Amino acid sequence: MNEITAEAPSEPIQDLPRRLEGYREMLLANLVMAGEIPAPTFQEQARVEFVKQRFVECGLEQVSSDAAGNGLGLLRGRTGSRAILLHAHADTPFPETLPHTLNVEPGRVVGPGVADNALGVAALITLPTLLEHLDIRLDNDLVFMASVRSLGRGNLEGLRAFLVTTQLPILAGISIEGVPLGRMDYVSQATVGAEITCRVDPDHPVEAGAIPALNQVLTQLRAMELPAESHTRLVLGSVAGGTSYKSPALSATLRFQLRGDADPVVEGITEQIVAICDAVARSTGVRVAFDVIARTRAGGLPDDHPLVVRTRRILEALQIEPLPPTHSSAASVFLERQIPSITLGVSFGAHRGEPSEYVEIPPMLKGMAQLIGVLKAVDGGCCDRH
Amino acid sequence: MTDIDQWLETNTYHHGQFWDLKRLIETKESKGLTVSLCIPTLNEEKTIGKEVVILKSELVDRYPLLDEIAVIDSGSTDRTLEVARSFGADTYLSAEILPEWGTRRGKGENLWKAIYQLRGDIIVYVDADIKNIHPRFVYGLVAPLVYRPEVHYVKAFYDRPLADATGIRPSGGGRVTEILVRPLFSLFFPELTALIQPLSGEYAVRREVLERIPFPIGYGVETSHLIDVYFEWGLEAFAQTDLDRRVHRHQPTRDLGKMSFGILHTFLTRLRARGILPGLPELTPILRQFQFHDGKYEQVIHELREEERPPMIEVPEYRDRRGLAPEQD
Repeated sequence: MNEITAEAPSEPIQDLPRRLEGYREMLLANLVMAGEIPAPTFQEQARVEFVKQRFVECGLEQVSSDAAGNGLGLLRGRTGSRAILLHAHADTPFPETLPHTLNVEPGRVVGPGVADNALGVAALITLPTLLEHLDIRLDNDLVFMASVRSLGRGNLEGLRAFLVTTQLPILAGISIEGVPLGRMDYVSQATVGAEITCRVDPDHPVEAGAIPALNQVLTQLRAMELPAESHTRLVLGSVAGGTSYKSPALSATLRFQLRGDADPVVEGITEQIVAICDAVARSTGVRVAFDVIARTRAGGLPDDHPLVVRTRRILEALQIEPLPPTHSSAASVFLERQIPSITLGVSFGAHRGEPSEYVEIPPMLKGMAQLIGVLKAVDGGCCDRH
Repeated sequence: MTDIDQWLETNTYHHGQFWDLKRLIETKESKGLTVSLCIPTLNEEKTIGKEVVILKSELVDRYPLLDEIAVIDSGSTDRTLEVARSFGADTYLSAEILPEWGTRRGKGENLWKAIYQLRGDIIVYVDADIKNIHPRFVYGLVAPLVYRPEVHYVKAFYDRPLADATGIRPSGGGRVTEILVRPLFSLFFPELTALIQPLSGEYAVRREVLERIPFPIGYGVETSHLIDVYFEWGLEAFAQTDLDRRVHRHQPTRDLGKMSFGILHTFLTRLRARGILPGLPELTPILRQFQFHDGKYEQVIHELREEERPPMIEVPEYRDRRGLAPEQD
């Protein structure tokens, strides 16, 4: 068996991208075939079925869907005393009606959802073949999962449901995202994603419509003082409303995320926002609804956790520059179960969320090598002591 | 006359019937068959990479249905060959195959030269402009040939949406088929109307059939194939497979005019050669179209010569390459 570790810069993990070169086309083919199956949140079934078909072809055991609809496959380890969960979210923010055609260009693959998260799914379904061909056998079981209901209102329900119901002793979680290579996210912020909808009551019409009311909400949100010490931020994500330029809008909606390092602070500000909504409703006569889309709690691994330290070393050995950790909502879900986890990216890309989204081809094998290295590190015991 | 309904019942497939690729490959291997894929190209750098990646990974590496993937190019000025090569295809310039036979410009020329260049007992042709390429585009066509020795020629048909700037229409395509080819077949070869998309650019054929039919080098190649195979082997030699959706480029009406001209030219030439329309005069290669320019109408003249290559079996270099005895005069 080949030993692939990252204890020192001269170790063979540096050779791994070269040894994976013969599998680049397989990864790209999986990327295109998975990515061209539309998978808007709550409608991931077709993509999950494809993933399961790939799991069967790879020889994984117990290929199935759980009650939530996650696609699962099991690679047995030598001892099988515990299990490592490797997952990629299957859903995308694009509607089924949008053409999901991906184009393979000389240095990149372009198309909606290719980075978020078709490449993550492609990496997930390619990995069993890579492990087999590299003759890598782990001690622990490896659970492959394409998770559903991750984005937006999905609120990571798929991952959460699996962790709540599984009987497997999960040792650690590795979340695969398409981009960017170098991300190693192991902390979760306190977040509240929410939607504020101003709607004119048909029984008590307001001449100015819904937009001025939403504007009042926005003005007051922007005037709020957010505590800098807890890195609290308000991200205004999207605004929509009305159907015509010549008629007052009957409804208008703001979507935003509030995030910070401290759960109580975020909770407190959320209550302030609810109060703002109530006040605007009273002053304008427009109905103002506050609706939580998704929540995460603050926490994660310390910087000196062995999983973090080993991952950083693996990235450095592969000459991948580790990026500063950012918020990982998946980390929050693992944290709820006291499971160490890390989120990794497979390549570089841009235009995320746009139909022109793309991922770069050349870095992908380093991304795959990094995943294998981290898997080996977890299997080797770097999550055992905590 | 063969019952069209009966033929539709027995010789029309859906690609989903051939989902079991392991069984297909076992059957292929037990029969000692080899399969070559030919992708004819001219400036297809935007789509060729994906096509090669998908088909090589799925049908060479994962399920070894294809024994070779060859891109045969008419002289692209973009990076078509470089991209195809970088993803693992064998690439050839059409002009460098059988150079002593000269070079003609047209898709049919590439298809004809593929018979010489490629090794397979079955050759499957797939156009390079398919945006939603999938392995079914190949195995759906090859499978009837693998499973049924009496089938020689398998055509694709689709529900073909047209992609344009405004997105995708749920149905459409096949305008030249419905306006020109099917009416012509209805008049002269009614059984061939059973082929739902006679002009589709994807088909799989046994070598012993391909090497015995002539090849128009232009737009008429598919039509002439159908007529020639029909005359020689009958409708029973054909099968067709529903490959579901094919997303491709939308062609302007003016280009469809050129296509129709080439098809009609080939069709009428076939009728004359087979004594069906013996008194037909010599056909002009000139297509005239009109455009409004600077306040007046003006002619646009296209010279479209539908030259034909002879059956490959008559080419001495091919006989030599295949170890066949020279033809007797």
